[in-house]
Amino acid sequence: MPGRSASLPSDPGILAHRGPGEGRWIIAPDVDQGFVARTREVWQYRRILWFFSSKALESLYSKTHLGVAWIFIRTLVPLGVGSFVFGSIMQVPSAGVPYFVFFLVGQIPWNCFDGPVIRGSQGLETNRNLLTKLYVPRIILPLAQMTAGAIEPVIITLVLIVSLVYYRVNEGVWYVQANPRLFACAASVLLILAFAFSLSLWVSVWQARARDARFVLRYVVSFWLYFTPVIYPLSVVPAGIRWLAYLNPLTAPLETFRWGMLPSLEHSWPWFAYSVAVTAATFAGGVWYFTRSEAATMDKL
Amino acid sequence: MTERWEVSSRSPGAIATMREVWQYRRLLGFIGDRALRKMYRRTVLGWLWLWINPLFPIALRAMVFGGLLGVGSNGLPYFLFLLAGTVVWDVFATSLMWGTRALEMNRDLTDQIYHPRAILPFGNMTPSLLNLALKVGVFLAATIYYTVQDGRVYLRPDVSILWAIAALGLAFVFALAISLFTSIWGETARDIRFGLGQLLSVWYLLTPILYPLSQVPEDQRRWMLFNPLAIIVETFKWGLFGVGSFYREQFLVTAVAVFILLCAGLTYFARAEARTIAER
Repeated sequence: MPGRSASLPSDPGILAHRGPGEGRWIIAPDVDQGFVARTREVWQYRRILWFFSSKALESLYSKTHLGVAWIFIRTLVPLGVGSFVFGSIMQVPSAGVPYFVFFLVGQIPWNCFDGPVIRGSQGLETNRNLLTKLYVPRIILPLAQMTAGAIEPVIITLVLIVSLVYYRVNEGVWYVQANPRLFACAASVLLILAFAFSLSLWVSVWQARARDARFVLRYVVSFWLYFTPVIYPLSVVPAGIRWLAYLNPLTAPLETFRWGMLPSLEHSWPWFAYSVAVTAATFAGGVWYFTRSEAATMDKL
Repeated sequence: MTERWEVSSRSPGAIATMREVWQYRRLLGFIGDRALRKMYRRTVLGWLWLWINPLFPIALRAMVFGGLLGVGSNGLPYFLFLLAGTVVWDVFATSLMWGTRALEMNRDLTDQIYHPRAILPFGNMTPSLLNLALKVGVFLAATIYYTVQDGRVYLRPDVSILWAIAALGLAFVFALAISLFTSIWGETARDIRFGLGQLLSVWYLLTPILYPLSQVPEDQRRWMLFNPLAIIVETFKWGLFGVGSFYREQFLVTAVAVFILLCAGLTYFARAEARTIAER
């Protein structure tokens, strides 16, 4: 092979090219591929993160007639209908607060998972055009795309605040009170977001290979909802098989989130620790898998 | 003597449209085949989906709503109750989804040959019929299982089963009527494709599938009867099992309304198709 120097290692990823006559150019992959280097790279490209985030947010309603109103409609209508059906028709128990409040409190952490994981895993696919033209650290894309999904929990939180004020005025009770346990809520949200991100790393690689990864994911997530105590409290699960419910890594953060807001509920720190461990493993594995198959994935896009 | 050819525009009425669809009926099989292929094209699981797709959600929902939350089911086994409701609902929802995307999915065909555009929503609904056939199979198996296990005959062996079949047909025609409008709108507005999934998931909750209509509080039940699907689903379950209540007048009114909607849809489609094809 002309231009291939014998002094270079025979790693196929490293190429060398001798210019005509003068000096030598070596084009080599970043030697430092470790986790820290990756993180630093993402930080260097942080402005691009905002670019992709706002693009993802816009894509939620671009080319529609109703525009931004869609974001609110698609968040608010299911809230109203869901709480009517589950609360007043099915009479799901709600831990001593109005079912609407219970439902909202469950929906916030759930939507931190649902939207972000689905949107995040489409990051590569959506920006395929840009990716074939310029270099960005690819791991930024799932991360940026996730923000489009994270708008929903924000809206639901606003609805919760409004409805809490409403109940305070009408019934004279604050159903959620400011207390240090709200930090547990924040921790749960962070954990769920981290889990969603880790999972979307895996799925984005699969999706470049097989189209149906997206449908499978949507499918799985829509049924994951039923396995997770979102519309019902964990207390309706028979005590004997509750550990089975806790095996689902979303159960513990969800319960902890609700416990932070509604004190009458129970929750379990050991299982929370289990969820942290599962998330950490998914995250480490996801980063490793994503970086390892990055080149192959780009080819398949 | 020269032969005379007369070129005239087609009348855009509902009957003329139907007649033209009928003349081109042989295309239906072809369009249906295309739709079926698209359904499972480029999927790894392929035809396995066909089986997982109807069964898994029903089993899971039965476990959560019937098992954990103890939602009522008019005295039937909850699984059977849910299965019956789902059969009707899925005929409606799947047909509506595929019907709405008919024009968009067959664009390449429309560009190449002439065919009545109205045939596309009809033919594109084939996947929902395949789904229906599978679910009916599952339904019969489940009915036999529960009959043997409980020693009780759940199905009513009388003519009221005809009402159930009528309800099933009405769900299909209703979906067709709506998709005559939505497939046209979906060509120009992204809102339709976008909002349809959202609308259907909310509509699903408001239709008595997961719960019996009798469990709805009295003052809200009146409002729920404005939902044509609620009446269709209730009639279906009443016709099969004799449970719940039969709203005969409301059912007949719904049938008439759906028929009017269908005629309006055919007329609208015939008038709008040329414009849509030119605009896109």
